[in-house]
Amino acid sequence: MGLWRYAARRLVQIAGLFYVILTVLFIVFRLAPGDPVERMVDPSMDPEDAEVLMAQLGLDRPVGVQYLYYLKNFVSGDMGISFHYGEPVAEIIADRLPNTVLLFTSSTILAAVVGVLLGKRASWSKGRSTDTVLTFSALATHTVFLPWLALLLIWLFAYRLGWFPITGMVSEDVWLDPGATWWTRAVDVAHHMVLPLASLFLIQFGTFLLVMRSSMLETLKEDYILTARAKGLPERVIRNHHAAPNAALPVLTTIGLSLAFSINGGAITETVFTWPGIGRELVLAVSQNDYPLAQASFLLIAAVVLLANLVVDLLYAVLDPRIRY
Amino acid sequence: MPLVVVDGLTVGYWTAGGMAPAVEDVSFTLEKGESLGLVGESGCGKTTLGKALLRLLPPNGRVLAGEIRFDGEDLLAKTEAEMREVRWGKIAMIFQAAMNALNPVHRVGDQIAEAVRAHGPGLGRDAVRERVLELFRLVGIPEQRLRDYPHQYSGGMKQRAIIAMALACRPKLVIADEPTTALDVIVQAQILDEIQRLQRKLGVSLVFISHDIAVVADVCHWIGVMYAGHLVEHGPRDEVLGDPGHPYTRALLASYPTLAGLRRALEPIPGELPNLLDMPPGCRFSGRCSRSRPECRDRKPGWSVLSPSHRVLCPWAKEDR
Amino acid sequence: MSPDGRHRSLRRRRWLERFLDGWAIYRRNPLGWIGLGLLALFALMAAASFVPPLIDPMYHPMAGVDPEITSSMGPSLRHWLGTDFMGRDIFSQLLAGARVAFLVGISAAFMSVAVGTAVGITSGYLGGLADTLLMRLADMVMVMPALLVVLILAALFGQLNIWTVVLIIALFRWPGVARVIRAQTLTLKHRPFIEAVRVAGASHRRILLRHILPNVLPLSFLYMTFRVTSAIMIEAGLAFLGFGDSTTVSWGMMLQWVWKTGHMFKAPYWLLPPGLCISLITLAFYLLGQAMEEVLDPRLRKEEGGVG
Repeated sequence: MGLWRYAARRLVQIAGLFYVILTVLFIVFRLAPGDPVERMVDPSMDPEDAEVLMAQLGLDRPVGVQYLYYLKNFVSGDMGISFHYGEPVAEIIADRLPNTVLLFTSSTILAAVVGVLLGKRASWSKGRSTDTVLTFSALATHTVFLPWLALLLIWLFAYRLGWFPITGMVSEDVWLDPGATWWTRAVDVAHHMVLPLASLFLIQFGTFLLVMRSSMLETLKEDYILTARAKGLPERVIRNHHAAPNAALPVLTTIGLSLAFSINGGAITETVFTWPGIGRELVLAVSQNDYPLAQASFLLIAAVVLLANLVVDLLYAVLDPRIRY
Repeated sequence: MPLVVVDGLTVGYWTAGGMAPAVEDVSFTLEKGESLGLVGESGCGKTTLGKALLRLLPPNGRVLAGEIRFDGEDLLAKTEAEMREVRWGKIAMIFQAAMNALNPVHRVGDQIAEAVRAHGPGLGRDAVRERVLELFRLVGIPEQRLRDYPHQYSGGMKQRAIIAMALACRPKLVIADEPTTALDVIVQAQILDEIQRLQRKLGVSLVFISHDIAVVADVCHWIGVMYAGHLVEHGPRDEVLGDPGHPYTRALLASYPTLAGLRRALEPIPGELPNLLDMPPGCRFSGRCSRSRPECRDRKPGWSVLSPSHRVLCPWAKEDR
Repeated sequence: MSPDGRHRSLRRRRWLERFLDGWAIYRRNPLGWIGLGLLALFALMAAASFVPPLIDPMYHPMAGVDPEITSSMGPSLRHWLGTDFMGRDIFSQLLAGARVAFLVGISAAFMSVAVGTAVGITSGYLGGLADTLLMRLADMVMVMPALLVVLILAALFGQLNIWTVVLIIALFRWPGVARVIRAQTLTLKHRPFIEAVRVAGASHRRILLRHILPNVLPLSFLYMTFRVTSAIMIEAGLAFLGFGDSTTVSWGMMLQWVWKTGHMFKAPYWLLPPGLCISLITLAFYLLGQAMEEVLDPRLRKEEGGVG
């Protein structure tokens, strides 16, 4: 079927893109001032252990061979040992990745759904007060400075009102209690997630609302909408069944294009709320000169962005039959 | 009783410069099973007239005066909900295929089924499917193309699908708005034949809108010529073609080369359509008319009746013949 | 006047006319006015930022410390917006921040738009392999989160100064512009007047610089306003995370100080102004861009009706 072939083709392209990023990162790490070995092996490490690690990473070999080691190690999930944690980077990443994916995907999906629905709503009432209020709030949240918004949310809802925990992802008393059911733990995480989710959601949904609104207004001028009206269909069916699916296509493109922006926001949100995700890990690793961890976090984030783009492309292809051929 | 009675219809658009009349004081009738061709340059109001019949004017458009009666009912007095029953159920429209008239994200079969279902609420799945297949056979599209999307169709096939869609609810009147524009000549001829065949076979009435008088001459019993919002000539096909009364009609006929075997030199009509916001008070064609007299500019032209069924909006029509 | 000189003055008049026409549309847009008003306010702040240190050295945004104050204090006559944790004046920091925001925003946006325009017209005009390669590169750069790229470079190259940050932002924010300009170039390339000069034997360089570039410049200018917002956001985010240039005061850095020194709950006078300024200046450039887009794209203008 056309869709599968398309998916396969995009997957190959994305793999190629990732390979280029992998290679560029390798080169940049070698170009930077200082000893590349010191960047992969903790200088304060026990010399014998350091030698083993160097051999494993191929750092005692010529650069070309190092590159091959680098690729091989990446494929086998062996990305060195974190200076700060003293643990294999892959384990740290594997531990943090689900948290990032949880926060990021739920906020993006929520923002897209709410943005599309409200954008549709705004376009119906174009020029009336509902439209003005929606458009204005979208503009305001679209341009607000995220860390500031996050701090204000913490100040109001966590500090003044005390409704939510100030930071973190779990409460120790719940998670250390062996008798706690998975349900109480899930509720605990959800409780911690409300504010970070709200911050990420707020800065994302405005874009979707504005794009959906203008796209919907454009679509309503299309000839097939006139056809649908001439067919005697009720206005609701025309909007939901004929206009909205077409209007939503540019929104999907926007999700793809704004992913990089949202990932920046994700890292900031994780840092402000001490949410144990990859973005925060990258920020910490950079400030502690923990190169192996920084490198791996960056690569993983790049991979997440690329895969998210793939998902968006596939959704687009499902919604727009013209893409597949 | 005629199927369609349009009487004194005037339609305007609100624009930045004020109310622009796009159709003014247009009257005609159409009997059941007959066809009327509306001809004119783009911007003459023919499309506006077609849309007004279905009350599908854009938001800034208004019917300012006149009456539209369909099958004895006053269409302008109907509520929006009642009008939805009329749309497609009784009056259907064939749009230009080139104009993106089919929704790109839905299958062609589903779009036709949707029209069937909207006006036959009691129909079961199989009955709807059967009806869609019947329509596909009627217009000559292979059954297996039912599940294709519009972009997989050729231009001619899209046009056939649109015709099938128009016939979905067995309408009494079909309005075809430039249905063959942007198709290549051979496909254009096929589609015209198809429309003519179906019109006769199913006994529907047809309003055929085109900028091309040759196309209209092929298909229609009656011809109406429009210029700058006015219906300037209306009569049976043979009378209008054989004995055109309005200078504009004559100019239109002269600008088509191979009509009725005449091989005259092509004569483009000099000048342009007048601005709708700034019409001359008298005859609107006077600025471009080769037979224009001084009083044409200032006095509203009167009708000349050339035969009981053939009238012309030019007082000199009889003298100038 | 020489024929060439007359030609040039004609050209200048055409630009002026175009500008006046555009302005006539722009001034009807109330949101555009809000944007301009806010920008004027921030420009005033940036200009005023030189004044406080002249009044008293303690008003120097970085180095000036009020000797009588050792912790963060609320607003007073002496310090209109209060002081930070070591007794520096928040108001003078806020003024200095406006200067940095304009500096970063406009220079980064200018550079990225210049790169994007150059890539876009080259890619669109040349077509073929060059086009494919440049657009693949654009695709790749586009998906990179600029803030995190700056972070990883900061890790490798140590503390970045403000110009390095500007440069990196510019290098990672051009693909969007390049795509739009490329599309515009493609449509221009086949217009009769370009075909005509080509037939008349004009060189590629001349066609690009004299005929295509002037026609895509308004669009580039429009994209510049949108790039300013993203550049300001990235710089502020970077400073907030603690990787800004430590020799200049930016609003992002002020927020970082509030946050890192634990004053976010007790010093609203310190938390609110910098964040509000970043948000408003972003909003201002965004509104400016929107209003300009309306000028440049007739389809977006408010429906004036039409006969159809």
